[in-house]
Amino acid sequence: MTATIEKALLIAGIGMVGIFIFMALFYLLILALDRFLPFQEVKPIVEVSEESITDEEE
Amino acid sequence: MGLEQLLPAIAGMTWQDMVMIGVGLTLIYLAVAKNYEPTLLLPMGFGAILVNIPLSSALTQIDPATGQAVEGVLNVFFDAGIATEIFPLLIFVAIGAMIDFSPLFRNPSLLLFGAAAQLGIFLTMMFAAFLGYDLKEAASIGIIGAADGPTSIVVASRFAPALLGPISVAAYSYMALVPIIQPPVIRLLTSRKERLIRMSSGSSKKISKKALILFPIAVTIVAGIIAPSSLALIGFLMFGNLVRECGVLNKLSLSAQNELASLVTLLLGITIASTMTADRFIRLDTLLIIALGLFAFVFDTFGGVIFAKFLNLFRKEGNKLNPMIGACGISAFPMSARVIHQMGQKEDPYNYLLMPAISANVGGQIGSVVAGGIILTLVPFFA
Repeated sequence: MTATIEKALLIAGIGMVGIFIFMALFYLLILALDRFLPFQEVKPIVEVSEESITDEEE
Repeated sequence: MGLEQLLPAIAGMTWQDMVMIGVGLTLIYLAVAKNYEPTLLLPMGFGAILVNIPLSSALTQIDPATGQAVEGVLNVFFDAGIATEIFPLLIFVAIGAMIDFSPLFRNPSLLLFGAAAQLGIFLTMMFAAFLGYDLKEAASIGIIGAADGPTSIVVASRFAPALLGPISVAAYSYMALVPIIQPPVIRLLTSRKERLIRMSSGSSKKISKKALILFPIAVTIVAGIIAPSSLALIGFLMFGNLVRECGVLNKLSLSAQNELASLVTLLLGITIASTMTADRFIRLDTLLIIALGLFAFVFDTFGGVIFAKFLNLFRKEGNKLNPMIGACGISAFPMSARVIHQMGQKEDPYNYLLMPAISANVGGQIGSVVAGGIILTLVPFFA
């Protein structure tokens, strides 16, 4: 085995482990964001005007 | 007055130039008639014709009268846009603005396929080293397996500029050939029973806007702290995504997705062609690189599918993954997801794999950029 192939093998090993570590971190990041910043429905603000109140009262 | 003086281009034409013009015409044919990555293959094909006509003023030439170099426009573009990595990084801004990360939030575990399906990059790098390429060249060839044109261009322009032409052609051609490359490999690795597995889409879950805004910022910080060399790649991608998600730059986001993407793609394609001159391209190396690119794509698919099968060993019946989803961990988006969805429907018309496939495919887009960053970080240490 030549030195270049040995180095390539080493890079491949570290590289694959490195990508999995990165992706695992991003996975945890998504879980954290999803947990601490969950989707919240924004309720539409209904403006109650004086006119509508008067109409209802009448 | 002889032919040489009258029509110097015809007199100077060699069979190699004619072969390269044929290559250019073939790329244009594939782009126009077969719709294979036309945005890139058409400018590259036309550029290949442009640079292989002898004495082309598109390339730098020596003026016989003065002996001085007259700069060609494609060389100027190359030095300004590719040697400096500006063009591919601008493409990343555009791609970032096009990516919607919400499918990943719906199926976050599928992000891991974006790691498994990068196997082809490293296997190809080792195989290229075995064939006698030096480490930098081998890494540049391996990165074809990222299935991500701009990443391939960044790595190749930094480590092996002489191989940039064939590497770009291989990367973009195989991306277009995903529907032909992946299905036979998947069928070989999976049983019909496995291909029939149904998966939940998780499509009804809504994602918070704040989470989508914070995600690109957090990814950039995490990636930057661990591997600063990868920041140019990941940072520009995430910047584009932040522009998309922030909600206050809609005009810029649309410009990045449309005008910026179109303009830079046009320039990128025709500029890469400046490396497709006959003396650089008509070599055994080119055929080898194209063969190694196919090897990389096949083993990307292999890595993703086998990883899914491995995960299934630990999952309960009824909660198993369809192993075909693993093949979507490559960056070719949304083509790979579409191919897997269609394969699933072919086996069972009521099996809807599109949403999980898209999630894994978005993971592949991140994975390929991370892989490029890791290669850029590691190789200089060992070379």
